[in-house]
Amino acid sequence: MQAWNKVSRMPAAAIKKMQDELFTKMIREELAVRHPYYRELFKESNINPDQIKGVEDISNLPFTEKEDLLPREADLRHPKKFVLEVPSEGEQKGKKKGFALFGKKDTGPVPSDYKFHTLYFSAGRTGKPVPFEYTHHDLRNLKEAGTRAFDVLGLTRDDTMINAFTYAPSAFFWQMFYSTVETGSTALQAGGGKVLGMEKILKAMDNMEAPVLVCAPGYAIFALQTLEHFGFSAGNLERVITGIDYAPMEAVEKMRRLMETVGANDKRVQRMYFLAEAKSGWAECEPDYGYHTNPDHIFVEIVDPESGAAVGEGEAGEVVITHLDSRGTVLLRCRTGDIATGGLVTEPCPNCKRTVPRIMGDIERKAYYFDLHSGEGPVRFDGNRLRKMMIARDDVLVWYLEINRDGNQDALNLVVKGVSGSDEGELLKSLEQELKKEVAVPLTVESATLDAVANKIGLEKFITEQVIFDNRNH
Amino acid sequence: MEKWEKLSKMPYKEIKDLQDRKLRAFMANQIYLYSPHYSNLLKELKIDPIKVKGIDDLRHLPFTYKWDIAPTDEEPQKAKDFVIRPDEEVTEKYGHLAKMSMTGGKAMVEERVYDFKPVHIHFTTGRTAMPTPFVYSKRDLDNIREAGYRLLDVFEVTPDDIVVNCFPFAPHLAFWQTFFAGEKMNVANFHSGGGKIVGTRNLMDAFEYLRPTVAVFIPGYCYYFLREAVKQGRDFSSIKKIFFGGERVPPGLKDKIKDLFKQLGAGEVMVLATYGMTEAKVAWPECPSHEEYHGYHLYPDLEVFETIDPESGEPVGEGEEGEIVYTSLDWRGTAVLRYRTGDIAKGGLLLEPCPNCGRTVPRISSNIQRKSELKEFSMTKVKGTLVNLNNFFPLMMGHPDIEEWQVEMRKRNDDPFDMDEIYLYVAPKENIDREKLAADLKQKVLRDTEVSLTDIIFKSVPEVVSQLGMETELKEKRILDNRPS
Repeated sequence: MQAWNKVSRMPAAAIKKMQDELFTKMIREELAVRHPYYRELFKESNINPDQIKGVEDISNLPFTEKEDLLPREADLRHPKKFVLEVPSEGEQKGKKKGFALFGKKDTGPVPSDYKFHTLYFSAGRTGKPVPFEYTHHDLRNLKEAGTRAFDVLGLTRDDTMINAFTYAPSAFFWQMFYSTVETGSTALQAGGGKVLGMEKILKAMDNMEAPVLVCAPGYAIFALQTLEHFGFSAGNLERVITGIDYAPMEAVEKMRRLMETVGANDKRVQRMYFLAEAKSGWAECEPDYGYHTNPDHIFVEIVDPESGAAVGEGEAGEVVITHLDSRGTVLLRCRTGDIATGGLVTEPCPNCKRTVPRIMGDIERKAYYFDLHSGEGPVRFDGNRLRKMMIARDDVLVWYLEINRDGNQDALNLVVKGVSGSDEGELLKSLEQELKKEVAVPLTVESATLDAVANKIGLEKFITEQVIFDNRNH
Repeated sequence: MEKWEKLSKMPYKEIKDLQDRKLRAFMANQIYLYSPHYSNLLKELKIDPIKVKGIDDLRHLPFTYKWDIAPTDEEPQKAKDFVIRPDEEVTEKYGHLAKMSMTGGKAMVEERVYDFKPVHIHFTTGRTAMPTPFVYSKRDLDNIREAGYRLLDVFEVTPDDIVVNCFPFAPHLAFWQTFFAGEKMNVANFHSGGGKIVGTRNLMDAFEYLRPTVAVFIPGYCYYFLREAVKQGRDFSSIKKIFFGGERVPPGLKDKIKDLFKQLGAGEVMVLATYGMTEAKVAWPECPSHEEYHGYHLYPDLEVFETIDPESGEPVGEGEEGEIVYTSLDWRGTAVLRYRTGDIAKGGLLLEPCPNCGRTVPRISSNIQRKSELKEFSMTKVKGTLVNLNNFFPLMMGHPDIEEWQVEMRKRNDDPFDMDEIYLYVAPKENIDREKLAADLKQKVLRDTEVSLTDIIFKSVPEVVSQLGMETELKEKRILDNRPS
């Protein structure tokens, strides 16, 4: 990766030129040469790497699906096929004598850049976790991505924070850790509710007088809603940085409302978007201004989730990523299954003026689109919309939805626990009414205890809570 | 910080000179000026820090006890007073000359202040007191990295190894010492977070995927993990070394673990031990040897160890049994003086060069009876006598016929005023004569802990594993005190 103060101010044309160079280099010098999977694929599909001149040629290349990456039952080491082989010492070009006055000399691949250093996994929300290998080169990039994200968020070494991202050997936790260490801010790496539990996290926030809480959105909302129950005040809290799970604007608004209710010092909420496939995460300077990507690290495309065709600037579509500057695990056109509702824009950010491409709008999950069978034929149900709707409500504490097969048709069962003091009967009734407008299949709404719901959604058990359960046998 | 390669070959006299010098500077320039607790204490006791000429003068300083530093409901911020922190007033007082300097003096003073700024935190794991935070400044992180490098150097781990860290993730020393060690040694790694975080099955998959050469574990979980792996027919043939933290490894358990690794395809695996404490902010390695115990190698440029008579508080001689007392040297963040660990080093402090590896740094005997994690909870009044529950560990962990076990203390009829009862749950190996085993255990428990068991209850391995919370707790619950208070 390059110098951030340069990249973040580059005009779009210069970014495009830089990406063309990085991309062709990656294809010709890395993937076609030392990437077991793509080398094979290029041969099989008669792809000539020399004919790829820039990122506009990317649409001629096949997608990589998540399934391609998964370890096989019979071959746990299958994901190694996506790892660049370590070049032999002989591949390194001999160093020429004399000084390089104009720019760095390309002496060929450096074997130590390719040597395995650490392993992170995808969060495994939708299936088995996928291993991603990081070399030293990747770790440097992860640290750089972390420092950049802090720069975009406006966090400095004067900040004190609780990193309450659930611990997992994953990029999101470690990027956050490295950001704090590299920046020099004071941080408690709490490991989330799964490690410390809500009470200890809140207590640490109180004792450390930490103004910044880094947390998954669902857990942050739950913390703010239950703060008083645990007898803590939020007097020092100034901002919440969310990540791991997607925070639609409804979640941002709700957190702001809650921060105001609990008497926080300020009510700033900022979002981050981590992609295990991108081996890093991106931040927004302010909500709704888009996730500021790193164009010298990852090339982002937005495609139609059905056809796979590229969509126009600012149009909604699936996020597809290609590594421009990675070692270890390297991916080409990997479909993430995430939908960016505002697409990708290359205009400079109207808020912070940084010129890097931004992923706009909310991030939604393709896996949350369900095809349901109603008595009158198939209907589409959008779990993302339901999630937004539930987050927006101030009377809901925790909830989950089950999709069940009932004879020939599907049925939904919504289970909720309202906030303390809410009228349960009213809550169930209004939820039923609201939901019936959304979907034309039989629906039941019931209430349950906090423990039962929290346990089911894995509030302090999983990396982030799971709220939609498809119980139908496919 | 000294260069380890040089330090570990220095004659003891030079090491002592170094410690004397460092202690003098640390007392006068850091502790007395910037540590609120010690600054007040020294003033109160009218101790002139300049008079501390070397480590022999430590005995004139008061001890620090766990309760001096552990936060309470009334004083939740107590631990902050042990943090070395130049406040604005002090910076103003001592930094004004530098600030006036024409050559970036102001920026330099600010940088220096940031040397002190806490950036990373660990908590103690004690069960009786509230968790006490120990903070690290950026400079301290270099110390913990260096300590980790030394630990791996003693264990002969090189950048060509692949280390899997199976310590449970928490803001605790064990996990992070392993992390920072890997960072400095530049060794390939996987910080799994333990079975609770990734799940035992996924962790086994990661072993087979990565083919690590070194694994780092808590002993109890390791034994469980390896048995499960044997059942599933896994291939762990790449493992060469395994090191433990958290608790002492009894010889019997070492044998069991080596044997399990053989069944998993590995050769003769070296089982290594570490000793660490949150208060010292680092962990120390035991000198590797298949047969003998040569003690843990200390870092004399980062701390001073004393061994004292726990009753009188007087220092004991070299190699004599005594309580370990720890003093920080050249740290920022939290620093303690003469901290009473409560841990008893049976073989005392050793100043001779190590007969195994030749390193000259002081050693603390391998046979340490730990208090910091177990004893405070374990030295407990059962049936009116103090029972040392630590002794269950070597006995049960090393017993060849036992797979898993748990001790539970109860009150008869759950009545707080009734008799204490002590139950032992045992999951024996297959085809073991239970009556014989029960008789053997009753007699050995009486011999080692001086308490007679109320009953021994045999259970299946999965039942005891679930009671222990092996997959759900940060650390398994070996000893349960279920007596109503």
